[in-house]
This record gives sequence, structure tokens and C-alpha cells, in this order.
Amino acid sequence: MSTTEFEVGGKKYLVRTDVRYTKTDEWAKKENGKVREGITDYAQKELKDIVGIELPEVGQEVKKGEAIGTLESVKATADFYAAVSGKVVEVNERLLDEPELLNKDPYGEGWIVVIEMSDPKEFDELLTPEQYIEMHKKEGH
Amino acid sequence: MVIKTHLWEFHVKELGATMGEFAGWEVPMLYTSSLEEHNIVRTSVGIFDVAHMGRIKLTGPDVLPFLQKIYTKDMSKTKEYWMSGPTMALNEYARVKDDEMAYKVSDEEWYVIANAPYREKMLKYYDEIIKKYGFKVKVEDITFKTAMIAVQGPKVEEVFEKIGAGWANDLHTLEFRMNEEIAGQKVFLISRSGWTGEDGFEIWAEPKAMVEIYRALLKAGAKPVGTICRDTLRIEMGYVLGEDEYGEDPTKFPPALCLRYGLGAITWSKRGFIGEEALRACRREGCRWIRVGIRMTKKHARAILRHGYPVYVEDQVVGWITSGAYSPYLKRSVGQAYIDSRYAIFGEYVEVEIRGKRYEGRIFDFPLVPGRPVVK
Repeated sequence: MSTTEFEVGGKKYLVRTDVRYTKTDEWAKKENGKVREGITDYAQKELKDIVGIELPEVGQEVKKGEAIGTLESVKATADFYAAVSGKVVEVNERLLDEPELLNKDPYGEGWIVVIEMSDPKEFDELLTPEQYIEMHKKEGH
Repeated sequence: MVIKTHLWEFHVKELGATMGEFAGWEVPMLYTSSLEEHNIVRTSVGIFDVAHMGRIKLTGPDVLPFLQKIYTKDMSKTKEYWMSGPTMALNEYARVKDDEMAYKVSDEEWYVIANAPYREKMLKYYDEIIKKYGFKVKVEDITFKTAMIAVQGPKVEEVFEKIGAGWANDLHTLEFRMNEEIAGQKVFLISRSGWTGEDGFEIWAEPKAMVEIYRALLKAGAKPVGTICRDTLRIEMGYVLGEDEYGEDPTKFPPALCLRYGLGAITWSKRGFIGEEALRACRREGCRWIRVGIRMTKKHARAILRHGYPVYVEDQVVGWITSGAYSPYLKRSVGQAYIDSRYAIFGEYVEVEIRGKRYEGRIFDFPLVPGRPVVK
């Protein structure tokens, strides 16, 4: 996994350079016409201690940008969104018992779903790592 | 405007705290991880900055009658250099304005701790009551003059021994002393108290002195812990929080009796306090709602409960969640709830609806953590 870092407000965030991003802080990696998705290091650092997750169902049809599950941190509840449209073919059930993997390894063992894309063009519309970093640097004060 | 805690610079620059807003104050939310910090308090020693709590000095010949008027507890039983234990100030509907604690120095000198979100409301209310009844009481808000920390956890005696303040270990729970010295610094007040269920001390001191005391405590092995884990710790204990478990609006909150506050907060033999009629009416007629603890079953250990979620028995809505947390200590999702008193049976199963799905939990008495509170 190749990575880089960016800094906003004195805090450092890890960015994987071989994946694409959503504006809502999910990462998406193409794997044989399917997309593996999770939340970014920025997202997990904002949420802090994640203590629960609600996953979508395998077989569920999802639309790009649709809320497909919920993350529970110690203090807040946050939705996460489908990076692309398609069918959910795999979910990371380990997260149900070990949601802390989302904090410990958001780009690796903390992956959330695999979606079989219905429109492969959508993947190319996702943010590149450079665009994702740019977005946060603009938002950061 | 947000008020910065007295120790703001110290938290940010030296301890690397993540700050956030609570009740108009910028306070340390966490330092490393709220889950770790929670367990530090349950197994070792943590230091909370609780400067946002209202510290109010009351002096004059009528302090006792004034306190007797506003609180549900008989304050005449409080001895000098002891805290009263928690009690409640009610409105005329027997709903809780604030839950507070008083420190008695002498008949004519007391200190009161008000909850941060209600400090200003209560200061106005005290003035109103003092005027209305003609009490001779002077009210002085000293919140900004002193900083305040809570040092909490089972190893607190060792820590105090190490910093040369072993004498404090002689204090009983709810006992306090004034004008002492800790780590070479002047301490305005130190009490054996807290809000975590663990053994511990609360210290009031001037901000500069407090930083030095804090450093000494760190050196002796105590760890900084944030406001977020303070909430999860109190939920495990069944301690109440304003706007979660209580509030003044009778359409949102049941009468004070339904809180099952415990800890001797209500003295029924006492007469003449504000809200008494409505409180006695509730006692006579019975409670429609009862506050209980909820522990989610092992299968739903990660179903996190939040304020307002409905609670079901079969197809009936029988109550609502008031606050919830994932307990890293119990490794379970836990919470507090108001349950229709006909269904409030300890050990029974209920379901909580979370985003349209039902999850199973069980009704438990407080505290949800065994063996607490620790009383010395």
C-alpha cells in the first residue's frame, strides 16, 4: 500500500495513493470490476473511537452517494455512503465485533463493503488522492 | 462566547488534548482515546478538568434556611467540613432544575456546586428566592477564580502518597478540607468525592497552582482523561445528567421521584421546600415512569443507544432511552431509560429500536458496574 500524508490544523492524515475518494471521506479501490470501500484516515480521526457499525446487506442494490450504513463513535452517529452504484457482494462482518479496526487500519483490515459496479464510469468520477487532499486543505483553516 | 478552561494552554500545548465545547466552555474532550481513558479511571487513576462546574459561595445568617427552601434533602444534617451529598432543586411541577451538592464550612458559610449548563440560570434563581423570602444570604460566583480538577480511580491513594499528600487519604467520602498544601502549592479546597463511582478527590486551586499540582499528579502516574469518558463513566454508574435524564419541562421529563436518584437526595420528613406539593402528589399517586439501567445482550453488544430511542416490550412502546454509551469496561452497549413502571422489572428483556431495527437488552438496576461506588 503506497501512502502519503497531508496536514490540516496541525494534525496529520494518511492518504492511500492507489485508491479514489468521495467528498464524504470514503475511499474506493477497483478490484476486477468490483469496488472495495472503506472510510479514510481523516474520517476515523474525526469520529475518534468507533464502537459500533451497521452494515448494508449482501445483495442490496445501492446508489452512488446513498447512505448504506452507520458508524457509531463514542459521542456521535455518522452515516457512510456508497462510493459507486451497484450491488453489495461482500461486507466486512469482522467489524461487527471489532469496530476498532476502523480506527486502527481504515485502509486495510477496516474495509467495509465490496460493491459490484453497475456503471463503471462512476469510478472515474471519484476524487484522485491529489483532489482529495486539495479538498481538505481548502476546508482547513 | 466560549469560555476557555483555566488550564487551556496546559491541555493544548503540553498534554495534546482535543478540545471541544461543553456548556459554553472549551474543555478537553479527550487526550488519546475515550475508551482507554474510561478504563484508566476504572483501573488506575485519571485526572479530569472540571473547571466548568459552577462554584458558588454562599454566606450570611440565612444560608441554611435558604438551602432548605430550594433543596429536597434535609441540609440541617450536614456537618461542618462535610458535603451534603447530592440533592435536587425542583420547580413547582417537581421537575428538576439542577442536581447540586453543598459544602458546609459553618452555619453561615457554604459552597454549592451547580452543573455547568445551569450555572447562570441557578444564580438568577438563587437571587429570586433570596429576594422573595427575604433571606440574608450573599451569593458569590467563584467559578472563574479557581480551577477545579477531579482525580479519580482505584489507585488514587497511592498517587497521593507519592506526591506527599498522604494525609488526604484520611478524608472520608464527602469530607473536605480547606487551605491545605499539595505538591508545595496552595489548595483552596480538597474533598473526597467525584462522579465516576471510583475513589477520588476533587481539588479547587488557583490556576497557576493547579498546573503544578497537575504536573505532580502526572509524575506520580495519574493520566489526563477527558470530558467524553466522564459521560460514559457516569452512564455506567446511573448518575443523571440534565437534559438527558432530567429537565424542567413537564412534557419532556417525569417528576423527580421517577429518577430514582438515590443517595439520600430526598428527605421525606422535611417540609416546606419548593416543588414539595407536586413531589408528594407523585409519591401518593405513584410513578408512571421509572428510570432504569439497560444492558444490551451479548449478541447486540455493539448496538449503541442514544437519547430518545423507543423501548419496546412485544409491540408496545414502554419507554425511551435517556442516554447510552459503549462501556469498554463491561464490553457492552449500556444505557439509561425511562420505562413505564408496569414494565420496569429488573432482569426482564426489552427491545430498543435503532433506525427501524429492534435490538435486545435487559433491564438492570444501577450501578451497571459491580462493586461501585467505592466509599471510604
